[in-house]
Amino acid sequence: MDTIVETLLEGKAISAVGLLPNGPLKPEGLNAYKYDPDKARELLKEAGWDSSQELDMVYYYADQLTADMMAAFQAYLADVGIKMNYRLLEGDVAAQLNTVPEDPVNGPSAVKWNLGYGARAALALQEYYNGFATGSSAHTPGSPEMDKLIAGINATSDPAKLKTAYAAIQTYENEQLDTIPLYYQQLFIYESTRLNRNGHEYGNEQYNYDWGIVDWTVEPDADGKKVLYTNTAPAQFFEQPWLNLGIWIHNKVVFDHLLVADGSLTSFGPQLAESYNVSDDGMTVSFTLRDGLTWHDGSPLTVEDVAWSIKTAMMIPTVNPVVSNTIHSIEGADAYSDGSADDVSGIALDGNTITLTFATLDPNVLLSFSQFAPLPAKYFPDIDPLQIQQSSFWQKPIGSGPFMVSEVKMNDFTTMVPFPDYFGGVAKIDEIVAFPSGDGDGNLLKNAGAHKADYGFTKNTADVSALEGMDFMKVTPADIPYTRMMWINHYPMN
Amino acid sequence: MLAYVIRRILILIPMALVISFLVYLGLELTPGDAVSHMISPEMMASISAERLDALRESLGLEQPFFVRYWIWLQGMLQGNFGYSTAGGVSIHTILSDRLPATLELSAVALLFSTIFGCVLGVISALKRGSTTDNVLTVTGMLGVSVPEFFFGLVAILIFALKLQWLPVGGRLLPGYDSYWDHVPHVIMPALVLSIMMTAGVMRYARSSMLDALSKEYIKTARSKGLPEWRVNLLHGFRVALTPVIVLIGFRLPVLIGGSVIIEQVYQWPGVGSEFISAVRSQDYPLVMMIALLSVMAVLTASLLVDILTALIDPRVRLDK
Amino acid sequence: MSVTHDSGRKKNHLDRQFDLIRRREEAGELSNPKGYRFARKFLSNRLAAFGLVVFTLIVLVSVLAPLLTPYNPRAIDLRNILKPPTWEHWFGTDKVGRDLFTRVLYGGQISILVGLGSALASAVVGVLVGCYTGYVGGWRDALAMRVSEIFMSFPQIILVLLLVAILGQSLSNLIIIFILTGWGGIYRLARARMLSLREEEYVQALRSFGLSTPIICYKHILPNALGPIMVNITLSTAAFILAEAGLSFLGLGVPLDIPTWGNILNVAQDLRILENNWWVWLPVGIVISLFVLSVNFIGDGLRDATDPTQQG
Repeated sequence: MDTIVETLLEGKAISAVGLLPNGPLKPEGLNAYKYDPDKARELLKEAGWDSSQELDMVYYYADQLTADMMAAFQAYLADVGIKMNYRLLEGDVAAQLNTVPEDPVNGPSAVKWNLGYGARAALALQEYYNGFATGSSAHTPGSPEMDKLIAGINATSDPAKLKTAYAAIQTYENEQLDTIPLYYQQLFIYESTRLNRNGHEYGNEQYNYDWGIVDWTVEPDADGKKVLYTNTAPAQFFEQPWLNLGIWIHNKVVFDHLLVADGSLTSFGPQLAESYNVSDDGMTVSFTLRDGLTWHDGSPLTVEDVAWSIKTAMMIPTVNPVVSNTIHSIEGADAYSDGSADDVSGIALDGNTITLTFATLDPNVLLSFSQFAPLPAKYFPDIDPLQIQQSSFWQKPIGSGPFMVSEVKMNDFTTMVPFPDYFGGVAKIDEIVAFPSGDGDGNLLKNAGAHKADYGFTKNTADVSALEGMDFMKVTPADIPYTRMMWINHYPMN
Repeated sequence: MLAYVIRRILILIPMALVISFLVYLGLELTPGDAVSHMISPEMMASISAERLDALRESLGLEQPFFVRYWIWLQGMLQGNFGYSTAGGVSIHTILSDRLPATLELSAVALLFSTIFGCVLGVISALKRGSTTDNVLTVTGMLGVSVPEFFFGLVAILIFALKLQWLPVGGRLLPGYDSYWDHVPHVIMPALVLSIMMTAGVMRYARSSMLDALSKEYIKTARSKGLPEWRVNLLHGFRVALTPVIVLIGFRLPVLIGGSVIIEQVYQWPGVGSEFISAVRSQDYPLVMMIALLSVMAVLTASLLVDILTALIDPRVRLDK
Repeated sequence: MSVTHDSGRKKNHLDRQFDLIRRREEAGELSNPKGYRFARKFLSNRLAAFGLVVFTLIVLVSVLAPLLTPYNPRAIDLRNILKPPTWEHWFGTDKVGRDLFTRVLYGGQISILVGLGSALASAVVGVLVGCYTGYVGGWRDALAMRVSEIFMSFPQIILVLLLVAILGQSLSNLIIIFILTGWGGIYRLARARMLSLREEEYVQALRSFGLSTPIICYKHILPNALGPIMVNITLSTAAFILAEAGLSFLGLGVPLDIPTWGNILNVAQDLRILENNWWVWLPVGIVISLFVLSVNFIGDGLRDATDPTQQG
């Protein structure tokens, strides 16, 4: 893997030891399983590997890098006498990848592949392991030991206890090696020399954190206008901000959240909320909104809007799983989402304060509310929550963040200008111009080369090297919880 | 004539119906649906099946095939093109956003290729057999032999990135208010798009010009002592143009199809790039609509060409 | 080459006479003199001869790839990535250290298979359907005509993309898709020939002798239509090779694990490769263009050689 990281990935990734990214939660002494073809051949011989057997490997990234990596895996496996053919999954990828066998202990497998290449990108670290619980995995049969360890990392929000629980599960998994961790993907934040973040920190740019965009400055152009060029504008519609929490530029600047996280998404402070309070047992959380908050259209932003947003998000599947887990842990959420109750018993409003009472402990409440953007309820009268994306609101959304949408030319560009009544002060940049190109498409480099990209982030390693080669571009890597891995289908084939 | 046109138009209706049904059926047979493209597989692993089914239901994806087709067809008959499944945007809105961009690109490319093609073709014919003719013929062949995206990428490398004369792509920037602002953006994609057509038009123009020059009345005109250039231009060129017009007419829809790749290379926000993303995300209603639109464009163009040919050359009878 | 107007007229007149003779000639078997004339005319066209040489050369080196290169097109060498051309690697190496010369040769096998194979197969389908339905007429003819109309009323790339979406991405599917989009032209050609020849006296006579339909088609109709069909095949080959490259560019072509010219050229999308590693895309770009050019020259030569009325 080190060779692959150095060459194919151009050193823009970190070889993985264990599924969990490097950090304070990683225990000492995990086995890195270095590349050792001789040992592999020996072990295969010992196990009586039938070298005529062909393994079927699937993947779902259509990019060139993944294809190259598959070619490399194929060559490495062939070297030790394992035949492997790879194919790109098409159509209903999730069903072909994730279908759990009817008998989650003995199988047979409900998916057709032997090996799968994929990733787990996590907002909350529990996401790395929850998929291994009995009855949740398409490739690894559950076990009572694993279930117990998983319960351990979900049962507490106390950092010390969490650390012990994570150490236990990582050590176990490192020995079992049900899934082979390959490498930790990094995220790269690029900025042109025109841009000055004025000392604000870098963080996990795929989500929302305290990046201080209000203080950012850009060199003015010939007309004296300070314009920031970026990408991730909408091509057809503004995606509602609850699914891909911080991917799109509008998620980042048009909507604010109750709380704000630091760059590593581990500690939290107030944003729309002036203050918040978590009870000692972690089962009651209350937020008090700032006075005089307004939406971009000037109407007041109230706790009713927040409550409506939470209740609406309970009804729809296109909500980030961590956020979804948090709001479904609220007392009465199930009754409300299955229609047996008209209201959520765990949501209480009092003046400027909203209090949430939880039925089950969720370790990620604060994280979720640093990412969950309240929406203005009055724009969605009588809407079927499932149809929320179909609302005309998403042609030009009204938010609460430091910038408001100004001009929208779908598929051409979107401009955003400072919101004059923003509680955190008026942004110093005059205008954000965003083009509809996303992470990993070829247009990023074209735009950057033409000085039409001042800020953005990418996970595409090839783009990173190219951006670094531009003398007006600065690239800052950020460690994010994003592990590429190879799944092994342990179930017998039918 | 009128009866013929009406009959031709009436034939279009069952054609369109059959085609729409076949395309709908074909898309139905593809694995996966729009929902499987809305949410990444990584995230999908954590979403429960019931919630996904609810989403499918809300998009009408769970109904039987014929019911969905019937609903779609009824909508079409009432002039309701339906909604894109990806974001629920009305297809009418999407198309009215994208169509002008594609038409603009195609029109400019058509203009370029007609001018260059005719001029070069006529020069080639008048200098038949000369080095100029040979060079033009081989260049024309080269033009249809190089993959167009390759041309496009190399042009970006040279003119946008190295020389920085033209923008890398896109169509509009904030602050554009007159059409002239588009010009720098449209030049490169339109030129690249027109290369193949220029070669075709040039070829046609050359051979019809040669054809015309050998006709009796040209020779009569010559024998009357008219200056050579007048003979060539007035008579030869005019007659030679007929097949060229026909070619251009037939090329129009091909151009719309052909712009798919160029739009992708130049981030041109047209119908072609929308079609690609709709195919990729299995946005059936949108795929259907764009496919049907392109079919209608082809059929209408061929009808127009027939009528035009008949108008230009009365010997062509329409009621075969 | 310059021809005076007088001799031009004579030639036209002469040509008309030749045509008359030829038409009589064609009433019999495909005779040797015509074959000679065809070959002579074809080869006297310098561009066509050039095309034939280049075409043959590229096909040969692709087919003989295992003898010409010691490398495996899939063997990676991560310690030797993106190396410029050397004596060991004539075209340099790509992003995973594979030998590009080898990949271009092996890629040629697949690309030529896709291009030429689909063109030939769609010609076979088109001729079979055209001859048969043209001969029997009736509802079968009407049905085939309608079906071809449906296929031909799509702009080609839209139809190809639709079919890729429906059938999925694989090598065999791509060939099927090209056949589906390509058979219509040749079908119409074959049908038109069939219709006009069906009524010819000699065909009527043959029929009255009790000759079966396939034999009549094969022996008498096919040779007559061979010229235009061959022209059509060459044009389709060129178009399919370009289409394969275009689809690869859109990421909807042959799966990336199979080397094809399109898949090799596709990496030029990476601007960094485009700017810094010309050897990755330029040789294969030239080979594609050269191959398509040679096929087009051949097609042109065939057209001129088989169509005596064509000028120039």
